[in-house]
Amino acid sequence: MAATTAQSKTPFSLAKWFKSRKGQQAIVIITFSIIPLALLFVFTYYPFAEMFKFSFYDRNYTKVRGFVGLKNYIDVFKRDDCFRALWLSLYYMGGAVVQLALALYLATIFCFGVKGGNFFKGCMFFPYLINGIAIGFIFKFFYTRGFVLDTVLQWIGFDLENLPYWLRDTRINNFSLVGTSVWKYFGQNMVLFVGAMMSVDSSLYEAAELDGANKWQQFKYIMLPSIKTIVMLNLIMSITGSLSAFEPPFVIMSGGGNGTATYFIKMHEIAHTSQKVGLASAMAIVLLLIIFAATILQKLFFKYVFKNAEDEDTGAAARRDKKLAKGKGAA
Amino acid sequence: MKFRKTLALGMAAVMTMSLTACGGSSDNSASSNNASTNNASTNNAPSDNASTNNAGADTTDAVTYASIKLGEDYTDLIASIKFMHHKTDREEDGTMARLVEEFNKVYPNIAVQTEGITDYAETALLRLPTGDWGDIMFIPAIDMVDLPDYFLPYGSVSEMSELINFADQWKFEDNCYGIGYMGNAQGLLYNKKVFADAGITELPKTPDDFIAALQQIKDNTDAIPLYTNYAAGWTMGGQWDAMLGAITTGDEEWLNRKFTHTAEPFKDNGDGTGAYALYKILYDAVANGLTEDDYTTTDWEGCKGMINRGEIGTMVLGSWAIAQMKEAGDNPDDIGYMPFPISINGKQYATAGPDYSFGINVKASDENKIAAMIFVKWMVEESGWCDLEGGYPISKTAPTSFVFDGVNIVENVSAIDDEADLMNRMNSESELNFNAGGDAKVMAIVEKAAAGVPFEDIMAEWTQKWNDAQSSLGVDVQY
Repeated sequence: MAATTAQSKTPFSLAKWFKSRKGQQAIVIITFSIIPLALLFVFTYYPFAEMFKFSFYDRNYTKVRGFVGLKNYIDVFKRDDCFRALWLSLYYMGGAVVQLALALYLATIFCFGVKGGNFFKGCMFFPYLINGIAIGFIFKFFYTRGFVLDTVLQWIGFDLENLPYWLRDTRINNFSLVGTSVWKYFGQNMVLFVGAMMSVDSSLYEAAELDGANKWQQFKYIMLPSIKTIVMLNLIMSITGSLSAFEPPFVIMSGGGNGTATYFIKMHEIAHTSQKVGLASAMAIVLLLIIFAATILQKLFFKYVFKNAEDEDTGAAARRDKKLAKGKGAA
Repeated sequence: MKFRKTLALGMAAVMTMSLTACGGSSDNSASSNNASTNNASTNNAPSDNASTNNAGADTTDAVTYASIKLGEDYTDLIASIKFMHHKTDREEDGTMARLVEEFNKVYPNIAVQTEGITDYAETALLRLPTGDWGDIMFIPAIDMVDLPDYFLPYGSVSEMSELINFADQWKFEDNCYGIGYMGNAQGLLYNKKVFADAGITELPKTPDDFIAALQQIKDNTDAIPLYTNYAAGWTMGGQWDAMLGAITTGDEEWLNRKFTHTAEPFKDNGDGTGAYALYKILYDAVANGLTEDDYTTTDWEGCKGMINRGEIGTMVLGSWAIAQMKEAGDNPDDIGYMPFPISINGKQYATAGPDYSFGINVKASDENKIAAMIFVKWMVEESGWCDLEGGYPISKTAPTSFVFDGVNIVENVSAIDDEADLMNRMNSESELNFNAGGDAKVMAIVEKAAAGVPFEDIMAEWTQKWNDAQSSLGVDVQY
C-alpha cells in the first residue's frame, strides 16, 4: 500500500525498478556478492578492526584492564627483544633469494626440455604439499646428531667429530631452519616460473636461435623480461613470508628456543603465554606496516631495475636499426 | 479464529511448562523420600539377608564411603553402573577390564561398564549437565559451588580425611565430593641400577650432593646423568617450576602468598635453598656437561625407553611419569622416584596433590549410587590401581610401593581470596610465567649455561622483571 501511494506521488517506483533490467542486475549482483562479502567482513575485516582496537588496551583474552593509548606501540619500540627478533628475518630473506634463484634455474632447465621432466617437477613440488608441522618433525629427525644428515655426510667422507650440531650451535641453527623453508617452497616457486615460461611464444626462441643467440642470451633477453611479473610476485611473497616466518622455529626448535625466536614467535608467546593481548596486537599492526613498507620498497626497486633493462633493450634495438639502415645505405 | 489459535497455543505452552515443572519437582521429592522405600525394595527383591547390612544405611540418610565394609555389605546388590574416565591407555591394554573382573569376584551382581574418552576434560564438561552420563566419572574442572548439583557426597571431609589423602580437594560445605584415583608427588625420577653402578650409595639430599652424584654417573657409567627433555618444552617450565614453593623453601605459604610480595625471590640464600638453588641445579648440570649431548633434539617418547634401559640417570618429572617409564622396557624395577635434592635445615619436602577424582552422579538411581560407592571404594582401597600407576597413595590403608622416606609431604596453601589472580597478573606482567607455560625461561637457562652466560646474570634479569612487574601492578613488597 505504501508502495502504491509512493507511485502516485513520484514517477519512480521501487517495484517497477526491481523488475527492470537494471534492477534485476543489481539484485543479482547483490545476492551473489553478499555472502562472500559477509564472510570477508565477518572473518577478516571485523576481526582486524577488533585487533586494531585491542592494540590500544591493556588486556588479556577475557579481561580488559583499561585504555592505555599508544603505550603498547611505544613498548614495541622500547623492548629490545621485538626488533632483535626482526633481524632473524634477514636469514629468511637470504634464504628467499637463494630459493628464487634455485627455482628460476631449475625452471629454465625444465623449460629447455629435460627427460622425465614432469617426474622431477613432481618430486620438487611435492614438499610444498606436506603440512608445515609434519615438515618440522621430519627435519627435527633430519638434523638430530647422528641421524639422517650426519649419516649422509659421513657416507661422503665427513667425520662425525667435525660436523657441527645443526640445531644446537647458535651460529648455524638459523641457517638450518632456513634450509627447511627453502626446501619446502622452492618447488612451488619453480612451478609458477615454469608456468609463466611456457606462456612465452616458442617462435621467439627459434628466431633468437636463428639470430645466433645462445641459451643464456635467450634467457636474459626473452625469458626473464617475459616473466618479470611472476618473478616480482614471487619475490614479494617470499620476503613477506620471511618477515612472518613461524613454523620452522616453532616446531623444530620447540617454540623458538636457542636464539631462533622470530618476530611471529615472540608475538605468539606474548599473546598466548604471557597473555598480553594488547601488546601482541600492537606488534601485529607494526609488522603489518613493516610488510607494507617492504612491499612498496620492492615495487619501487623493481620499477627502477626493469626500467633500466628496458631502456637498454630499446637502446640496443635502436642501435641495431641504425646499423641496419647504415648497412643498407652503404649497399 | 486467530484469537482462538493463539489461545490454544498459549494453553498448550502453559500446560507443557507445568508438566515439566511437575516432572522436575516430582523427581526431586521422589529421590528424597524414596530413599528408605527404595532401600527396602532392594532388600526384599534380590535378597533377604541384606536387611542386617542395611541397618547402618538406614540410620544415616544415605550411605557413606566410610560406612561401607567391602566384601561384606551389599554383596547381593544387583545393579549396572557406568564409569567414564580418561585413561584410554588402560582401556586399550585391558587393565580396566581386568580390574572390573576382579571387582566382580567380590560383587558378581554389579555390572560395570567403562568408557575411556580421549579428550576427556572437554567431553566430560559437555556431558556433565545432561545428567545421564553414567554413574561414576572423573570430576572435570567445575566450580566447587556446583559440586552438590552434580555429585554425591562421600561423607564429611573430616571423616574422609581419616581414610584418604587429599579429601579436601573437592569439598563444598565440609562435604567431600571427589576421591582421587592416584596422587602426584613432585620429585625426581631416577634409574636405581645406574645409581648403583655409579657407586652412589645414598640418595643426594642437597644440590651439591646431587651435582656430585651426576658427575659420578658421568665418570663411572655410559648413561646420560640428567636428561633435560629440553625439546619437549613443557618438561622444562612445567616440571622445574613445579618444585617452587614448599620443596625449595620449606614454607607452604611461599608460592601462593609470599612469592609475589618478595623483593628478591631469586637471590642466593647461600645454603642451597630457594628458587636460586633450584634453577642452579639445571644450570650447573648443563654447564658441567652432565646433560645430553645435544639438548635441541631430545625426544620425549624416546626418553622413556632410555631411562628404562639405563641410558639415563635422572629426569625431573612428576610421579605420574613413573608408570610410563616402567612400562617402556624390560626393567621396570630399575625405575625409582626420589625427593628433590633440596634440604631445608636438614629436611626434605615434597608437594603432592590428587590426579583426577572419582565423582558419583547425584541423579543416579539409589541402587546405582550404592553400587557406584562400592565400586569407588573398591577401586581406591582394593584394586591396587593407584599403585599400578606408580602414584602417590590415595588410600591411607591400602598397600603402596611408593616410598618417600624421611620426607615431609606438604601442600602449597592457596592464595588469599583478595589475591586470587595476583600470581597470574605477576606472571603476565613479568612474562616469566611460573607454573603457567613459562617454558621459554627455563629453556633459556639451558641455552645460556651452554653458551657460558653466568647464572647470576640470568637471576638478575628475572629479579629485574619481577620487580618491574611489582611496581607496575602496585604490589607492596613485604619480604
